[in-house]
Amino acid sequence: MTLLAAVSQAGVHASVVAPLPGRDTPCYAKSINDWICGDYLRDRRDELVEATTSHVQITVTAVLLGLALAVPLALLVRRLPRLEGVVLGGSTALYTVPSLALFPLLVPLTGLTTTTVVIGLALYCLTILVRALLDGLRAVPDDVRDAARGLGFGSARLLLRVELPLALPVVLTGLRVATVSTVALTTVGTVVSEGGLGRLIADGKNTQFNAELLTASVLCVLLALLLDALLVLVQRLSTPWARRARTS
Amino acid sequence: MTPKIHRSLALGAAAALTALTLAACGSDDSGDGGDTAPAADAVPLTLATQSFPEATLVGALYEVLLEANGYDVEVKAVESRDAYFGELSSGDVDVVPEYLAAVGDFLNTQANGEGAEPVTSSDPAATEAAVVPLAQDAGVTLLDLSDASSQNAFFVTAETAESESLTALSDLEGQSIVLAASPDCDGRADCEGGLSDVYGIDITEILPLGFASPETYAAVQDGEAQLGLTGTIDPNLEDEGLVLLEDDRGIQPAQNYVPAVNSDFLAEHEDLAGPLDELMAALDNDTINELLARITIDREQATDVAEDYLTEQGLI
Amino acid sequence: MDLGAMWDFLTDPASWQGPSGLGTQLVQQLLLTVTALAVAAGVGLPIALLAGHHGRGGWLAINLSNLGRAVPTFALLALLARFSWPGSAEFGPYGRAGLATLLALVFFALPPIIAQAYVAVREVPEDLRDAARGLGHSEWQVFRAVEWPLALPLVVSGLRLALVQVWATATIAALVGGPGLGNIIRLGFADLDRRSQALAGALLVAVVALVLESAGALVQRAVTPPHAGGGSPRRNGRRMRLGSAQSRAPREEPA
Repeated sequence: MTLLAAVSQAGVHASVVAPLPGRDTPCYAKSINDWICGDYLRDRRDELVEATTSHVQITVTAVLLGLALAVPLALLVRRLPRLEGVVLGGSTALYTVPSLALFPLLVPLTGLTTTTVVIGLALYCLTILVRALLDGLRAVPDDVRDAARGLGFGSARLLLRVELPLALPVVLTGLRVATVSTVALTTVGTVVSEGGLGRLIADGKNTQFNAELLTASVLCVLLALLLDALLVLVQRLSTPWARRARTS
Repeated sequence: MTPKIHRSLALGAAAALTALTLAACGSDDSGDGGDTAPAADAVPLTLATQSFPEATLVGALYEVLLEANGYDVEVKAVESRDAYFGELSSGDVDVVPEYLAAVGDFLNTQANGEGAEPVTSSDPAATEAAVVPLAQDAGVTLLDLSDASSQNAFFVTAETAESESLTALSDLEGQSIVLAASPDCDGRADCEGGLSDVYGIDITEILPLGFASPETYAAVQDGEAQLGLTGTIDPNLEDEGLVLLEDDRGIQPAQNYVPAVNSDFLAEHEDLAGPLDELMAALDNDTINELLARITIDREQATDVAEDYLTEQGLI
Repeated sequence: MDLGAMWDFLTDPASWQGPSGLGTQLVQQLLLTVTALAVAAGVGLPIALLAGHHGRGGWLAINLSNLGRAVPTFALLALLARFSWPGSAEFGPYGRAGLATLLALVFFALPPIIAQAYVAVREVPEDLRDAARGLGHSEWQVFRAVEWPLALPLVVSGLRLALVQVWATATIAALVGGPGLGNIIRLGFADLDRRSQALAGALLVAVVALVLESAGALVQRAVTPPHAGGGSPRRNGRRMRLGSAQSRAPREEPA
């Protein structure tokens, strides 16, 4: 009875856990629960590094896979324009399947592995990447294409040496959007146990672990910005003519 | 710089990124945070656990114990049994720390369809007898039960318990009550169903706020609900000013801890059973409560807590 | 995958009723989607259109919207739902944690809307603007008479894309105890007994997404002027460029 009385007097919302004797309470313990906590970064460093590494792997693999799937699809549409509706419609239809459902549905096929999440994410990328490739290739001026053909360029050489390089700015813009979206969507992979930083976000929310929640969220944002910046760099380096145009 | 060099740089950047990915893919990024490096001839073992704190603790106990016994453990944390059980049957997952009645219900539904007649009850022995063969059919062997068991339990605020002299669920008979629980509580014999049928409590509404979640606690504390759902093992209750009501009419099925092992894997590694049986014998609810408090309140790492306990008990 | 059970569940009226029924969750999610889009458009469009009109602040608009896109909605939801908002217990028909979800979705919708609207106005050829100004139009009239009609198809395209994306993303709210069809999906996959319900929920989300996409396409067709030949400003741009090249050519000939 006394214990109940004491507890209720302390107020229902107050935390009554005292720190264990002889042990410094870290700022991430429930009684303190700081949002920004150096102790957390120090004590859980391994966990954070592992989660971030996993997150990067999943994102990069997924985007590359998406690109690998998107290129043949885009080329197919170019050859058979009648298929554009089907291909774009199909990739958009994929996009409408909520990730919350797509990942668990893939588990029987590919198991509880990063592969499941990677495949799901790659499928989501398709709609952005196919569109970007098509738009990019379409933006190549006809006269350039004609000139190249006039010089005797075959289809393959035309594609590789003329069209794709000129399509690069648009494609890279699409790639940037796809990459940043994928970093964000990877977090949802936590529903099948492979969500990189998403697992820490979910755990932080469920156990009211402020430091974990904020740190994992911030790391996600930083990761997205970093990958975006890298792609901007690639974009700048690979299209020097665009830079000249910008400065003019 | 000529365009050719620029393009090479771009390709180089892309190649570097790819190489980074592949290199990272190649390295071992198993989920365990253990400090001990596995021995050169360690047997690889995949362990799957659900991702709520208690399950993570038990998973850590298994992990540390098995690593000390010559296994290289990879841990997968999942949201639900559905996601990993198929893997356990097929052998992609080797060991799962399970709850007797929960796995029993799952196997029952898998074998006999949605809405099949339940085979679990509050009697551990009878339930075990019914569930072990179902597991065998699915290619899974269940080892010895532990006394530690984690069932559903219901709580009220400490103030309410005191002012209305509540100690057990039967004290609520005939009352109209809003229940804060997990979304699937409706109709379940160990949840709303049992409360209505066995205890005669009129559940007017179920707020689907989750099992032992912060929202569930808050709903009961704020008076939005009178009764909340948690587990028999929940160190947060005292902290939050909440108390459990006893399940005096026994609607909770036997949810004893029990190791579930892929049968083929067990046949190949018979020495797996010994340490796990010892662990199951050593655990009980008070111990788990204590260990869990260190994780949920002091926020120690599960593997650290597991290692302390196992060393203390002489199990490793 | 028991498709029969899924179909039974979808066609059973009882599945649609009640606070955790398909009907309630569908309405919650739709309300959230539409409201979030309206708020995002109301906030984002004026900013983007103004910046686009003056040609200034574009760098800021685009990069802020990139930053916005870099914030995972799941993380934002988790952070927002962590706090007890006023009325988070029941935000009316929006459901529990409705306000947190609404804010997160608005934040999610802003980047594509702003970026697209800005580009849409920028794509309007400068000479048309100059011509209008030369005719004595005020800045507002220039916008209303020249920029808005030409930019509209692309703006609507951005809104249409955002609509479907917000609808699909709203399912994630269930992971933090929020409203919407994500709940029935998540619950269904967690419990073998209810797997068919999860599939039903997922199918419903996909179907509504397609409906929203089609509705958006109709609206876009309605605002696209018929002579624009598909309404893609890029194609228009190229035609303009070719047109001006042609108009330049005679001048280059020896007079």
